[in-house]
Amino acid sequence: MRFSGTIDYSTVVKPVMSTTMPEAKRRVMSLYKAWFRAIPTIMDKFDISVSEKDCRVKIREKFEMNRNVSDIRTIDLLVMKGQMELVETLRLFKTKSHVMAFFRDSVPEKPKDFLSKFLDGQ
Amino acid sequence: MLGRLARVALVARQAPLNRGAQAPALGRLLSTDAPSAPTIRRPDAPVRQQLTDVGKYAAACLPRFVQKVQLTAGDELELLIAPEGVIPVIAFLRDNHMTQFHSLADIAGVDVPARKYRFEIVYNLLSIRYNSRIRVRTYTDELTPIDSICEIFKGANWYEREIWDMFGVMFHDHPDLRRILTDYGFEGHPQRKDFPLSGYVEVRYDDALRRVVVEPLELAQEFRKFDLKTPWEVFPNFRSSEEVPIGNLDSPQGKIEEPKK
Amino acid sequence: MLRRGVSSSLRNALQVQKRSAASAPEKIEVFIDDQSVMVEPGTTVLQAAAMVGIEIPRFCYHERLSVAGNCRMCLVEVEKSPKPVAACAMPVMKGWRIKTNSPLTKKAREGVMEFLLTNHPLDCPICDQGGECDLQDQSMAFGSDRSRFTDVNYTGKRAVEDKDLGPLVKTVMTRCIQCTRCVRFASEIAGIPTLGSTGRGQEMQIGTYVEKMFLSELSGNVIDLCPVGALTSKPYTFTARPWETRKTESIDVLDAVGSNIVVSTRAGDVMRVIPKNNDDVNEEWISDKARFSYDGLKRQRLTTPMVRKNGELEACDWQEALMVVANKIATTPGDRMAALVGGLSDAETLTALKDLMNHLECETLCTEEKFPMDGAGTDLRSNYLLNSRLTGVEEADLVLIIGCNPRFESPVFNARIRKSWIANELDVAVIGPKVDLTYTYDHLGDSPKTIADLASGNHEFSQRLKTAKRPMIIVGSEALQREDGGAIYSAAHKLALSLQNTTEDWKVFNVLHRVAGQVAALDLGYRAGADEIAANKPALLYMLGADEAAVDRKDLQNCFIVYQGHHGDRGAEQADVILPGCAYTEKQATYVNTEGRTQQTFPAVTPPGLAREDWKIIRALSEFAGVGLPYDNIEELRGRMSEIAPNLVKYSVVEEANYFAQAGPLFGKLASALRSDEKLDTKLKGLEDFFMTDSISRASATMAKCVQAAMNEKKNRH
Repeated sequence: MRFSGTIDYSTVVKPVMSTTMPEAKRRVMSLYKAWFRAIPTIMDKFDISVSEKDCRVKIREKFEMNRNVSDIRTIDLLVMKGQMELVETLRLFKTKSHVMAFFRDSVPEKPKDFLSKFLDGQ
Repeated sequence: MLGRLARVALVARQAPLNRGAQAPALGRLLSTDAPSAPTIRRPDAPVRQQLTDVGKYAAACLPRFVQKVQLTAGDELELLIAPEGVIPVIAFLRDNHMTQFHSLADIAGVDVPARKYRFEIVYNLLSIRYNSRIRVRTYTDELTPIDSICEIFKGANWYEREIWDMFGVMFHDHPDLRRILTDYGFEGHPQRKDFPLSGYVEVRYDDALRRVVVEPLELAQEFRKFDLKTPWEVFPNFRSSEEVPIGNLDSPQGKIEEPKK
Repeated sequence: MLRRGVSSSLRNALQVQKRSAASAPEKIEVFIDDQSVMVEPGTTVLQAAAMVGIEIPRFCYHERLSVAGNCRMCLVEVEKSPKPVAACAMPVMKGWRIKTNSPLTKKAREGVMEFLLTNHPLDCPICDQGGECDLQDQSMAFGSDRSRFTDVNYTGKRAVEDKDLGPLVKTVMTRCIQCTRCVRFASEIAGIPTLGSTGRGQEMQIGTYVEKMFLSELSGNVIDLCPVGALTSKPYTFTARPWETRKTESIDVLDAVGSNIVVSTRAGDVMRVIPKNNDDVNEEWISDKARFSYDGLKRQRLTTPMVRKNGELEACDWQEALMVVANKIATTPGDRMAALVGGLSDAETLTALKDLMNHLECETLCTEEKFPMDGAGTDLRSNYLLNSRLTGVEEADLVLIIGCNPRFESPVFNARIRKSWIANELDVAVIGPKVDLTYTYDHLGDSPKTIADLASGNHEFSQRLKTAKRPMIIVGSEALQREDGGAIYSAAHKLALSLQNTTEDWKVFNVLHRVAGQVAALDLGYRAGADEIAANKPALLYMLGADEAAVDRKDLQNCFIVYQGHHGDRGAEQADVILPGCAYTEKQATYVNTEGRTQQTFPAVTPPGLAREDWKIIRALSEFAGVGLPYDNIEELRGRMSEIAPNLVKYSVVEEANYFAQAGPLFGKLASALRSDEKLDTKLKGLEDFFMTDSISRASATMAKCVQAAMNEKKNRH
């Protein structure tokens, strides 16, 4: 290979898993699909009181949260964490409360406008 | 070269003998001139010499990876190495006949957010053969993985899992990298300096839902915080304590330098 | 007689010192630890060292007190001097080389520290000064690390009997190191030479000679001055440690000076209040009321909204209370509504309330504290400010006080007058009751006619006034509460105008307010005095912290009264609806002091129960009433505030105001004439009147004890 200029080796980093963006994207997609495929199993094993659609929405929400991440290594790290989470779930390391913790269903929504904030004591 | 190494080993073997010889002197000090006895422990000169030699030897053998060798706290040998050199350095220290650090005491993490590479990974090794210890320090950031040493020391498995869990430092080729201390679903790495002391969430048992629920943190009680600076502090010029530098490899009485990254 | 004697000799001594310092202007060079510094002759070694950032340890030296030089802690080595010299008392000589950290200096310090500690008890664990103790700190920094104190015969250390200095200052005299800071404070700043020392050497003691309390409006400051735990705060005893409290810098609102304070809190409770240094306002003193009335913040608080049902006030929730008020607002025409604000109201709430009432087409917004509205009234800012500023009294050469007692209305300001009286030969004259102001003054009688006489030159004191280079006339706001307040005001103004030197930028006319909220209220365009309300007989009266009973329910037939405030005091008793608000330690709020300086408080603790920040209550009410004020947070509200009065958001500065010439001609027609038969009087005459003046201090048990002690002390034959 020929280089026309010098390479700044200080910016060359060691990859976590993926070396290119398409590769990282593929990993994200396969994790996303793995979670989707796991939904029936999770619902069956944990006996949770949410619909399949809720689960899909939640999974999508969790992935969308990191939509703006553009660093390949960060994406890889997030994929790894997601993978670990999935394994913890499918191997039943988690209990029902852990799975339901994704939904935060016990937390009431915070008031937003002035008056409800005032009456709520903020 | 070899001759000096042999001496290193010899001195190491003599070390217990030296301590035995000191015992009567200590007894004398306690009984008669107690007021003039030093209250701090002074490192043993032969031990220091031995450690210095081991450090120099390791540095000479692995010049690509060892960035600095130093003695801290008087007689603790430290190798500061590049992160790429974790496997060769640890393997060398374990397998070399002159070192024989066969036991991994532990692996620790340090977080200094101000640095470019904020995490420091510290390996503490013990050589039973020479009754000697060594500390190997390397560095990384949030995203750069460190090579796992599970292949060299099986015992490193859980230590590395702990560091992954507490600091979020990735280990390459770890056979089973997953959380070890925190609860399933826990978010964040608690030993990072930017992780709040109180955490982000609180957990309680909900009677109505009949399960444990996770909620955003709401401190019902004031979070205790101590103001350790005296309000009347007006003499900062006289505050600095006089520390006696114990020395590093190059100048035994000189100042200990901050490890350069 | 004794008091005068002591004071005037002190005055002479200090003046001599000052003159000698002023005569030689050339600077001389000295070396502190080999650093060169140019200082004026007469500078002490300690001050010269401070200029290059080296603070020399000291116990007895304090920059606002005279130099005593008796603790010897500040000994330093001077090259070619046979002995170490006391840095606090020794003026530097040309070319001196001073060594603040040499072996000789260190040895001297260690020796002094050893002597101090041989007779100091080892009770730091039960001492309230622990953690902020000069002796603790300095023994760590400068003391020896070995003890030679071997009490083989168990004779014990020196012990001294404790003195009873009153309900505020706790004494443990065994801990005293005889620095005499308290003695100097009492005689120089507080002006009551109650404290002194007796005996010498080992037997030296600080005490009151005879059994007497140290009762002064500034007595609490000796607690901060004391470098050890000999004088500590009685209400704060054993309640908290300094390192575990959180400190919030804030403003005192119990008088109109706006002293800077630090509120120490722990676990949602105010543990104590201590002064914060501000040379332009309170130096480093605060009055006892500011310091000790914090326990009133926990008692008699309004913690829940209340609505009167069948003649009884019943607790309810916010929604219900605001609904009741909003319904009443909906059925009342704007001109039948009125608002009355008390002296503790902050500028944010005043802005919100004014906006709300104006939206509802109500223009009757009044303050409880009266101020003459005839003539120039409050349209010109210089009419109601202490224009020469609090620090101005140090440049003045004559002060004429009309109808007020600054000692109890604004103790810190009075301390400044006294300081100027001692150091600058300030002369003071008073028209009003003859009271003890801690300094001597010419009493010009107590008839309001005297003011007119002075202006027309018919009084023997007129000449003295005319010859004064920088006279100050201070009119107390209490004198303006009278029916002929307007006439008194205009007479004083006329007198001030006749003395005003147009070439020099010196302002003669000053008003000294009594309450913290008044200046901001007048800045925002509130009308001073509740007369308009009494005349209009509104159907709905909104009282914002109005506790001084300016309006009585009986005078207003069928009036619906809403009270918003923090204490269940006189105002809340009359109310039909109570909306619980915040005290000054619980909100971020703007106050303007009597000289027009804008300052803000910060929340140190959360409000109790359902109480809410005051401006938020009005903002919420506006929504219920269908108005909807256009601000949701304090920044937006302050934006609105700056539209009305830009000076209200310029913090810690005093906006210039100088419209005396314009104000003069406006005094054409006055509603009332001077009533020379009625004497000028002040409510606060003695110490017992000082402690309880507002809803917070009235609820304070400590203040009640102080009143009791002051009454008892009157019977003391010493």
